[in-house]
Amino acid sequence: DPPLISLAKMARQLLGCEHVLPSHLVGCIRTVKTTTWFDEHLTEDNQEYMRKTTAEEYRRQTAEKLNPLKDEPWQRHEWTEGSRRVGLVAVKLGMVPVWSKTGERHVVTMLQVQDCHVIKHLSKEEFDGHTAALVVGGKNVSPFNRSESQMEMFRNAGVPPKQKVTTFKVSDNALIKPGTPLYAAHYRPGQYVDVTAKSIGKGFQGVMKRWGFKGQPATHGQTKTHRRPGASGPGGDPAKVFKGKKMPGRMGNVYVTAHGLKIWRVNTKYNVLYVNGSIPGHKNCLLKVKRHTRAHKHTQTRK
Amino acid sequence: MAACGKGLDKFMFSLRLLRNLQLQNERFLSTSVCRLAVGGSSEQPPKFTPPSKPVIVDKTQTVASTRSHLSPEFIPPRQRTNPFKFYIERKDMIRRRKVLNIPEFYAGSILAVTMADPNASGKMNRFVGICIQRGGHGLGATFVLRNIIDNQGVEICYELYSPRIQQIEVLKLEKRLDDNLMYLRDALPEYCTVDPDMKPEPISPTGEVPVNKLKVRMRPKPWSKRWERPKFNIQGIRFDRSLTPEQMEHAQKWAQPWREYDMLKEYDTSKLEEQILSEVQREMSK
Repeated sequence: DPPLISLAKMARQLLGCEHVLPSHLVGCIRTVKTTTWFDEHLTEDNQEYMRKTTAEEYRRQTAEKLNPLKDEPWQRHEWTEGSRRVGLVAVKLGMVPVWSKTGERHVVTMLQVQDCHVIKHLSKEEFDGHTAALVVGGKNVSPFNRSESQMEMFRNAGVPPKQKVTTFKVSDNALIKPGTPLYAAHYRPGQYVDVTAKSIGKGFQGVMKRWGFKGQPATHGQTKTHRRPGASGPGGDPAKVFKGKKMPGRMGNVYVTAHGLKIWRVNTKYNVLYVNGSIPGHKNCLLKVKRHTRAHKHTQTRK
Repeated sequence: MAACGKGLDKFMFSLRLLRNLQLQNERFLSTSVCRLAVGGSSEQPPKFTPPSKPVIVDKTQTVASTRSHLSPEFIPPRQRTNPFKFYIERKDMIRRRKVLNIPEFYAGSILAVTMADPNASGKMNRFVGICIQRGGHGLGATFVLRNIIDNQGVEICYELYSPRIQQIEVLKLEKRLDDNLMYLRDALPEYCTVDPDMKPEPISPTGEVPVNKLKVRMRPKPWSKRWERPKFNIQGIRFDRSLTPEQMEHAQKWAQPWREYDMLKEYDTSKLEEQILSEVQREMSK
């Protein structure tokens, strides 16, 4: 046992990667922990150096991208009816009240667009055969905990690694060069957007909270039955419970979209969008913001 | 016409009063002496010096504006929000404060608020009342004014930063023994009646806010809330008038003596307050 474990340790140090076990050790050892973090085996000076260099590189990359002379953008086309623009990735800050000129009070959510860059362009053939797509990324994050394949994508665009990466279906006349930064000025006040985010996770929840069942009365002789689902379906004829029956389970932490939200205000200095109403997700979570097309039934604005 | 004459009389009387006040004012004396001296040395017939205009000393705005006071809605609650959000909100709050003067006031002060109302005659309505509660943080900060009009208790909750508010006047600046005076709803009506035509009282020259140690008498029980319970921690009610000592002891059953030693509930805002106060003062002076 001791020699095998020390061999594993040596292998880890030599290879320094998380998932690959050397072939002669596969199946030999039951529990081998190969995961490591980037500065486990580095000295303190080296750790500092790594952090500093990455920060400088980010700044250099973002500065380069801001300069249109060095980095020529693709051609801009005219807007036509039915053309789709790219969206943004934003961070949810919190909610504030806002008053209109007539004195009506509305509640808005503040979304900040932090370091939003276009990362990749997927042509019609690569994506789905019908529309082209643009991959957009959000907040900057450290490169040390990202896999090689992801880092390759960011390196090709010349952009620091992002926390959230989403695709937007885009029409051909609205294609943007990978590496261009996107700001809150992309939208104007008065436009309508859809916001998608992962809702707050509630864990394993019972049927009353998850599906809104009525439960049973608190008194009048109920024995140990106050929040249970009750019956699970019809009787002997199907003699089964249908698929998709609403039952207790994990609630939340799924992507939910709020449609048709009006933009009240845009702060171009700090890249903040003031979007009407409430938005799924917790504070400081990343969201996907795109222009609202009136094809949806569930909209806040019914026009 | 008779009313006109009466008004004129009052005006003359008040002018005379003010002139008397001026005569006592040292500054005025010195200027008058200077004028007379200059007139004498020029060796010409003394020029006609018109009587100086009455100096109206506005006693309502004195030292209080010089004292630094941070309104409680600037202090952010203990949350996991990005401080940047509070910064942006503060910028909006300061912008509004530059347009409308929001004075310093506490629960227990008497305020008069004029608000724009499309349905009122003259488009404005004015409400005078005692402030019983200040709530909310940031732009949504509110305060509730209570008054009794025609034997009916009226409470209005105003938002400090609403653009409908045209003027906030502090008629009487004072503090009470508690921050939350919701128990005035169960108190005798004399403690909530405020005269709608009350004149603003002058603020004390030291600038310190007087604490009114009034203990309020309550109506007979039942009350809207059990104010004797220790969780409300009310100092400003005369419990001996409405409750027996046994009832007071029974209320102490709901005491949570461990709460004051709970370290996780501590939220020390002193450093944050200083930072925010300096920032707000800097922005307001620009």
